[in-house]
Amino acid sequence: MTISAQQETVFSNNQLSVEEIPSLQTLALLPISKKYRTLNILSIGLIASVLIGIASALRFQRFWSLPEGLLQAYPYVVAGIVAVGSLWALYHFFADVRIFYAIREQDISKQSGLIFRKLSCQPILRVQHVEVNRGPLDRWAGLASLQVFSAGGEMHTFEIPGLSIERAEQLREFILAHKDIGAR
Amino acid sequence: MTVSERPSHQAPTLNQSKELKEDAALKSHGQDANMEEPKLKVETGDEWQRLSLISILYFTIRNFTNSAQVLIYTLPALAISFNIWDNLLSPEVLIGAGILFLSTSVSGIISFLMYKFRVHNQHVEIHHGVFQRRYTNLPLWRIQNVKIERPFYYRPFGYALVVLDTAGSGKEEAKIVAVPEDYAEALKKQVLYEKALHDEGDLDCLPNEYLSDEQSSSFPTPRTRTKAIDSSHSNEEVLNRRSVKDIIIHGITNNRVWIILGAAAPFYDDVFGLVSEWLADKGLQLNQLVGEQTVAWWQFGLYAFVILMMLMALVALLSVGGALFTFYGYTLSRTGDRYIRRSGLLNKLEVSMRASRIQMITAKQDWLDKILKRVNLYFEQNSTAGQQMQELMSPNKLIVPSVTEDEAFALSQEVMPECDLRGQDYHPISKRFITFWLFAGWTLPFITFFTIGALSSHLDIMLGSLVVFSAVSLLLTLRWWRWGIAYDSKYVYIRRGRIGIDYQCFEPYKAQQVIVKQSVFMKRRKQATVKFVLASGAVTVPFLPEDYANKLADSVLFEVESTRRSWM
Repeated sequence: MTISAQQETVFSNNQLSVEEIPSLQTLALLPISKKYRTLNILSIGLIASVLIGIASALRFQRFWSLPEGLLQAYPYVVAGIVAVGSLWALYHFFADVRIFYAIREQDISKQSGLIFRKLSCQPILRVQHVEVNRGPLDRWAGLASLQVFSAGGEMHTFEIPGLSIERAEQLREFILAHKDIGAR
Repeated sequence: MTVSERPSHQAPTLNQSKELKEDAALKSHGQDANMEEPKLKVETGDEWQRLSLISILYFTIRNFTNSAQVLIYTLPALAISFNIWDNLLSPEVLIGAGILFLSTSVSGIISFLMYKFRVHNQHVEIHHGVFQRRYTNLPLWRIQNVKIERPFYYRPFGYALVVLDTAGSGKEEAKIVAVPEDYAEALKKQVLYEKALHDEGDLDCLPNEYLSDEQSSSFPTPRTRTKAIDSSHSNEEVLNRRSVKDIIIHGITNNRVWIILGAAAPFYDDVFGLVSEWLADKGLQLNQLVGEQTVAWWQFGLYAFVILMMLMALVALLSVGGALFTFYGYTLSRTGDRYIRRSGLLNKLEVSMRASRIQMITAKQDWLDKILKRVNLYFEQNSTAGQQMQELMSPNKLIVPSVTEDEAFALSQEVMPECDLRGQDYHPISKRFITFWLFAGWTLPFITFFTIGALSSHLDIMLGSLVVFSAVSLLLTLRWWRWGIAYDSKYVYIRRGRIGIDYQCFEPYKAQQVIVKQSVFMKRRKQATVKFVLASGAVTVPFLPEDYANKLADSVLFEVESTRRSWM
């Protein structure tokens, strides 16, 4: 804080060449926690088995009789759930290890996506507030996701998922301690 | 930081503003009459105030429209279940309608009795609501927009409705339902004054605190500041007026039918019934025409053409009516750092917006606008408060309807100096944009439909899919042709559109977030999509050369982070 305050008092406005503007291409990207992928695949498995469980319970219960068509559809329904679930899990298997983040003095960035690689960069100056979110499974795995809100609206909430809880808190502290936060 | 700062910061602002009021009061004897605003008795004191009696009318009408809106959805159900039209005049129905009518009328009086407000200690406080009591407390300096509405039934009595808007959400708006017009104006001035003071305090809060703590009121700075604020608020300069002719052009070029259609929604069935009766009267029966082969095809075509033309004319007429309804007597003016829009035929509506809040200028030109050389200009503010607001009334978008190209140019330069929408050398996007969307989005459905047509030997399906496919590729080509981005040292410009053209312009330091997207295939071809998130919405430019996109993203980020200017 004191150093930055000192820096502010000394006014400088030197001409910069294009090469001197910090580039997003030179970011040192850090991977998120490896547990995130496991957790995602696990939760997909959980959802799929619950759905299959419901279908099976309906199929094999004895309380009321189902129409013939539904009985015949049962194996297809199960196959469909398995197919969608495994595609979804496959996506996470490849995509989750491709989520990276990076912190610079003035902004925070995230790279994600499997086919469409997306690099988003959130200047800390524009941050309205920060949240650390933990779902029940996150808590169980010791993970957390960091959500950074700007005036860009709900659609453009900047989120880094699958951080260790310590790292998420650390990042939150970093953003909150940044002298620009709340400067609007 | 701001949160922790507030309490300590608030006190000096209050002290100071009182001080300033005294100053102004002293000075106003010698100066113009329009110097009076800071000493106007906006404060109502400790006592809670009732509204003027005229507000009963407002509440009644509001409650009526509210219950009518509910009824519109329930009426069909009621009509079906009770067969209401057959025994329309039966006592049950009449009693029901009577009770409904009475209760709504009485509810207006009850709403009036349950509403009280006061302006006290720089806060607007309102108690309202019948079943669900609400208490709204708005500090004056937190208010973002002040709208003064004058429903036509208020005008003869000189009353106005003040709508106070905060930055938070659309729900957090407060209405002071009926106050004398003078008071409304005074309250608005006071809010703007308070806000200007507060914002100045934000900028240089340190010297301010020193001032009020140590110095007496003889210190020159606050005095000059009052003067500056006074003069900025008192001389209002009209930037643009729209004549009836302009508004008629706007009605023709833009579809404003819904303004009328929306208001007339309850009468649709009747109207259609009447029209078909009228047509039948004239011996024109559609099913007869189609069913029997009595008329030649060209006769039928002629009928269809005439009917189409009639419909078009009707729609245009309705649209002109809608445009006149909202934009009659349009003026855009500037006082100090604010832009104010006033318009409306029956209800005069006023929207004001601070210049620094404007995130983006959009100039929209549809194909008809292009022929007539007109442009719709929008000044866009942050859109956090309810996206689905009526576009034209919304305080988030200040529209200047159907200005000429030169006026649009001048107005955009007024808001963003040196911004040149037309003179830019726009960087085009890659042609791969066309092929990508054609292959990724449209080839599969085309092939499917074409083969279905071929297999079932339906020539019309084959031809139809071919026509749709070529139309889509034409539109995509047009879109590719229009889409471009430019960046001079001050602004980022974007040009886009299909048949019409939209120009957008924003200051890079107002960006909230920057996103660079690249698919695996785009990476191979060294292309990237760049997206800038602003408080008013996001703008995307796809398929730019990778280097250019990265450079643009870096420059915009650099602009945000190095200038550290506020986006509000």
